[in-house]
Amino acid sequence: MLNSKHIDQLRRIVGKENILTSKEELLVYSYDATNMWQHLPEVVVLPSNVEQISAILKLANENLIPVTPRGGGTNVSGGSIPIKGGIVLCTTRMDRIIDINKTNLNARVEPGVVLQDFQAALAEEGLFFPPDPQSFSGCTMGGVVAENSAGPSCLKYGVAKQYVLGLEVVLADGTTMKLGGLTPKNRTGYELSMLFTGSEGTLGVISKITLRMLPAPKATRTIVAVISDVAVAGETVTEIIASSVLPSKVEFVDNWTFEKFRGLLPDEILDKSQVILLIQVDGLPETVDAETQQVVALCKSRAGEVRVAEDQAETDRYWQARAAHFSDISSRAHTIINEDICVPRDKIAEFIKLGQESAKKYDVPISFAGHVGDGNFHPVVLTDSRDKEHYQRSLKCVEEIIEIALSLGGVLSGEHGIGLEKQRFLKKAMDPAAIEIMKKIKDVLDPNHILNPGKIWEETSDEE
Amino acid sequence: MKSSLDFEQIDRFKEDLDKCTKCGFCMSYCPVYQEERVESSVARGKIMLIRALLDGELEATDEMAEQLNRCTLCMTCAENCPAGTNVPSVIAAARADKVRLKGLSFPYSIIYRWLLPRRRLFGYVVRLASWFQGIFLPKTEGSIRHLSFFLSALGKGRHIPQIAHKFLRQSVPEINSPPAGVEVKYTVGYFTGCMTDFVFPELGEKIINFLTRNGVEVVVPRGQGCCGAPVFLGAGDFDTGRKMADVNVKAFKELDYIITDCATCASAMKDYIKYLADNEERKREYAEFAGKIKDITEFLVDMVKLPPSAYRVAGEFKGKTVTWHEPCHLGRYLGVKEQPRKILQSIPDINYIEMPDADRCCGMAGTFSIYFYDLSRKIADKKVASIKSTGADIVVTDCPGCQIQLIDSTTRHGMPQKVMHIMELFE
Repeated sequence: MLNSKHIDQLRRIVGKENILTSKEELLVYSYDATNMWQHLPEVVVLPSNVEQISAILKLANENLIPVTPRGGGTNVSGGSIPIKGGIVLCTTRMDRIIDINKTNLNARVEPGVVLQDFQAALAEEGLFFPPDPQSFSGCTMGGVVAENSAGPSCLKYGVAKQYVLGLEVVLADGTTMKLGGLTPKNRTGYELSMLFTGSEGTLGVISKITLRMLPAPKATRTIVAVISDVAVAGETVTEIIASSVLPSKVEFVDNWTFEKFRGLLPDEILDKSQVILLIQVDGLPETVDAETQQVVALCKSRAGEVRVAEDQAETDRYWQARAAHFSDISSRAHTIINEDICVPRDKIAEFIKLGQESAKKYDVPISFAGHVGDGNFHPVVLTDSRDKEHYQRSLKCVEEIIEIALSLGGVLSGEHGIGLEKQRFLKKAMDPAAIEIMKKIKDVLDPNHILNPGKIWEETSDEE
Repeated sequence: MKSSLDFEQIDRFKEDLDKCTKCGFCMSYCPVYQEERVESSVARGKIMLIRALLDGELEATDEMAEQLNRCTLCMTCAENCPAGTNVPSVIAAARADKVRLKGLSFPYSIIYRWLLPRRRLFGYVVRLASWFQGIFLPKTEGSIRHLSFFLSALGKGRHIPQIAHKFLRQSVPEINSPPAGVEVKYTVGYFTGCMTDFVFPELGEKIINFLTRNGVEVVVPRGQGCCGAPVFLGAGDFDTGRKMADVNVKAFKELDYIITDCATCASAMKDYIKYLADNEERKREYAEFAGKIKDITEFLVDMVKLPPSAYRVAGEFKGKTVTWHEPCHLGRYLGVKEQPRKILQSIPDINYIEMPDADRCCGMAGTFSIYFYDLSRKIADKKVASIKSTGADIVVTDCPGCQIQLIDSTTRHGMPQKVMHIMELFE
């Protein structure tokens, strides 16, 4: 495994200012934004270019040293935790936006560019990259692709994979491979870029990304509806979309996290409500006006309060309150179990109802929030891992909720990925034959299993 | 395993420590992270280090101190944290526990324990340093600086004005009354701070003139000392900080208002109660003291309510384009955001332009810029780019610390902008 000779070699590859070895520096790469997991790496390297990534991987592969790729470390399924120790390969210092081409509607970036910085640079050009995970202020583009990230805007615009035109990837043995191209259409061979998109760092390290852009919508408007009952909120969403309006975002926040909306919405309505729906429509100004009216009319029949944000400042306040949800709910309990299921849209109300019944059965508090427009929910069970009995009940409840989602035709993870957190459910959620194929692909691309080992599927004893 | 007794100050802020959910939002706001792009720069990393310290997983080593000290305490993370975590409080507390456990290292022990609390002596040493500034030029390699740098940082090596020939306290009387015929509306104490006293005494004189002309009697208590910010917030020496706090509380005891021209001094003094109140009597005294403190712009806009015509722009600045740098301690600590802008926007004789990210930290952060001069300069470079983009002739601010940093960085970049305190704009 890793020894001081390897550290010296790594130091020569990345330079002394780009290698971290002290206990303190290692500790801060032992976690990501996932609640329960932590494991120390043995060294952290911050490469500056693709040649360095290649040299690091070659060294690791020859010496069978685990390598965990990492960007901003905002993952919520444990994907960036170095569960086997070894090297953390952190791309945050490869943070160049190489170019933004308005005519071709594409952009090339290094993996360490922070999503928010990228969005800001695009906005200056009147362009738009829709995936907007709520970790946008810290997450990096390499992670956005490797996790196939999504977010509120994906209801109308789709997830990260729909925007990947090409990738430069370094394989486990150090080989650098260019995939895809600059054009929106490309039918050359297998769609290998898609293999690495959503691969959670287990197949290669992404060193350059070419993305498709959209022109930024000319107008947007945010509508807020406060609804007394969870199931009614679910029906409202189903009805809005059935009425041929496709909002860019439909978000759902339950009363566990109303605090952030206090002062923005009337207390007396919030006090007797269970759900806030945040709906955004976008497009040409005329379309936005018409769709706003339609959404408001549909919401009014069910909501205690319906508001249309009057200006950008008000709009920002609503969305900031929404973005704070994960952190807010995390701070309400010692331990949270945050799930990420996705159900077909017409099953939303049923899913919530059954989920609440399950929480009642196991007597654990549960909060629902998420991108309800596309059926992607983040049910959060609030517990305390120190209270074994409560924690066990919570785990059982979560398991049941996942089963409910699967039985309704849903999936295990809408956008967070499997990582460490959801491995134990994978067998239930994926065809065993497909799991076998994934393992075979892994064997081809990373025969020594050095890349982000211990992730996605549970290891059998002979793999360890 | 350490007992919790070892970390009694951190323990007081345990709630802040527990709030952090590791979401990582702070990465987008932290000026240090944006330069270094390593997890130990950012609030989340520092929280995890302190948690490891409490758990006994890590020890209070010099490396740990270095990691925790690499923070400007700008509060931007705290202002934007969705969970409401206040990391700067925990870091200040951690510094204090480190000092309690390990003591202050030489030469800081001399400066903080002995020199800063002795106002007159400190003045002489500063003067001495100004004579030797040629010898004590700052070096920019390495991260830890020593006595020579500490003093020369106030001198020529950083492109700042020379130490004044005559300190403010030597040039103004203790009681400054409005001119004959001007009614006395308020009597205030003026906390001059080290920078105005030793480096920018002409600013102090201007403020006194401005206030007296507008019906405010200004008392400059001779007993006042350093606010203590570098001592208890920067170095974590709460014992000495407490002595300094007591000196200032005593000096202003008879006055109802304390006016400051330095946002850092004001916020540090308001924080005596948060960090230094170790008994009921001090709690009461520090609370009363905090209630009296007003930043100069806050006092003028909210209390005196001067009309725009009272802000008579000095002839040489008429017609100039002016931009505003909001000090962290003013905006985020004291919550004074609108008042200086109201003044600047209301004056017809200047053209006010808001710079992008006006509230972004300039990187000075007191002793931070001495320990981490290179990093401090890089943070300042972002501020310089903001200033440049406005095309302003003058940058004004409300903190002599920021002022020194802005003078240093604009000069380094060969920029024409004049850097001043907001009150220097006026006659």
